[in-house]
Amino acid sequence: METIKNYLDNMFLNLPKNQEMLRLKEDILVNMEEKYSELKKSGKSENEAIGIVISEFGNIDELLNEYQITNQDMNTVDTKAADVTLTQTEVAQYLEDKKKNARSVAFGVILCILGAAVLILITQLGTDMIFGNTLTDDIAGTIGVITLLIFVVAAVAIFIASGARMERYKYLKDDFYLPSALQSVIEEEYQNFSYRFTKIIILGVSICILSPTVIFVGTMFGDSGSVYSVVLLLCIIATAVYLFCYFGGIREGYKVLLKLEEYKREKYKKKSDRVIGAVSAIVWPIAVCIFLVSGLVYEQWDINWIVFPITGILFGMFCSAYHILTDNRKTY
Amino acid sequence: MISSDVIRGYNDTIILFLLLEKESYGYEISKEIKELSNEKYVMKETTLYSAFSRLEKNGYIVSFRKEEEELYGKKRTYYRITQAGITYYKEKCEEWNLTKDVINRFIKEM
Repeated sequence: METIKNYLDNMFLNLPKNQEMLRLKEDILVNMEEKYSELKKSGKSENEAIGIVISEFGNIDELLNEYQITNQDMNTVDTKAADVTLTQTEVAQYLEDKKKNARSVAFGVILCILGAAVLILITQLGTDMIFGNTLTDDIAGTIGVITLLIFVVAAVAIFIASGARMERYKYLKDDFYLPSALQSVIEEEYQNFSYRFTKIIILGVSICILSPTVIFVGTMFGDSGSVYSVVLLLCIIATAVYLFCYFGGIREGYKVLLKLEEYKREKYKKKSDRVIGAVSAIVWPIAVCIFLVSGLVYEQWDINWIVFPITGILFGMFCSAYHILTDNRKTY
Repeated sequence: MISSDVIRGYNDTIILFLLLEKESYGYEISKEIKELSNEKYVMKETTLYSAFSRLEKNGYIVSFRKEEEELYGKKRTYYRITQAGITYYKEKCEEWNLTKDVINRFIKEM
């Protein structure tokens, strides 16, 4: 059944998509499906039945002549450069890879944040002499910075590697054609995903906004308590950022396939406002840089941790604003 | 199998003949053509639907849908012959008889 529908989709690919044509296509589809089920009932195998139905379809030019469709009417807007028609396996593979990619990018981003957390943690452990005299302030600071750098290097490696992996889907940035049967399946999946996505974003933003409370609680346990609470704060923010990046990445996959919002072909051609994942990949390393420079150069370790909660809150605000804006655009 | 070139001018006539009996829909018509022609003529989908479009534009048939009917969640389009269609059918029959007479004069057993 699906084969017949796909065949018909392909036949009508270049025809104008007006009411008349859609109705004609539906009529023919009903006709072909009836023929197919009757052949199946008469004992023909699946393949035989499909073969007969398709061989009896005829020549699309006949319809073009009858409906006086000239080349100018042909649907050039939608399918001009669309020499790539996506198949079900390709789409499934793309969404799967996009998910994996989102996971690694999200992981990379939280590595940057956790790197900073580890730096603060080790430095404070040194100050508090938790490991006695073996771990002095200086050694702790050095180990902390090295750990942070290793984390950042690992994150960058992950970004580059995952970017390279998605390189083979570059053709999706140009035009492609998604058969309507497939389109409706993906639309439904996207609908379901969107409900979850909204909840996740609300959760993430709430986490970001509430996260500074751990600082207030930590401060009650003295100076070192407040520093440890910063470590905890960073971990909490890392969780939220992971959610944004991971689910944002998956969402992007759907939007690419369905040509939504910034992936819409005609009006909003590749808007520069990429995705939350991309923004966070820039914002968080910058936050780490500010943190390091202010600490190492200006010795502001006691206060410069504030850069992370601030980034977290701003980032959360950005995320929600971004989604409100992009959702509004849909209604135009 | 019959060459579709030869039969082209009479696809409309074939469809009108079937609609004279009763209103019908795409698949039923194509099935009846196949049966009545002893499977010697199978009308392709594109031929059938160009004919429907042409006949409807000329006012020889009207299409409609049956509200109560559901089929894989879709509705069949039914066709009914009009008075103009009946007149046209008669003309085509006369034309065919004439054509047949003329062509027969040039046909001989070999």
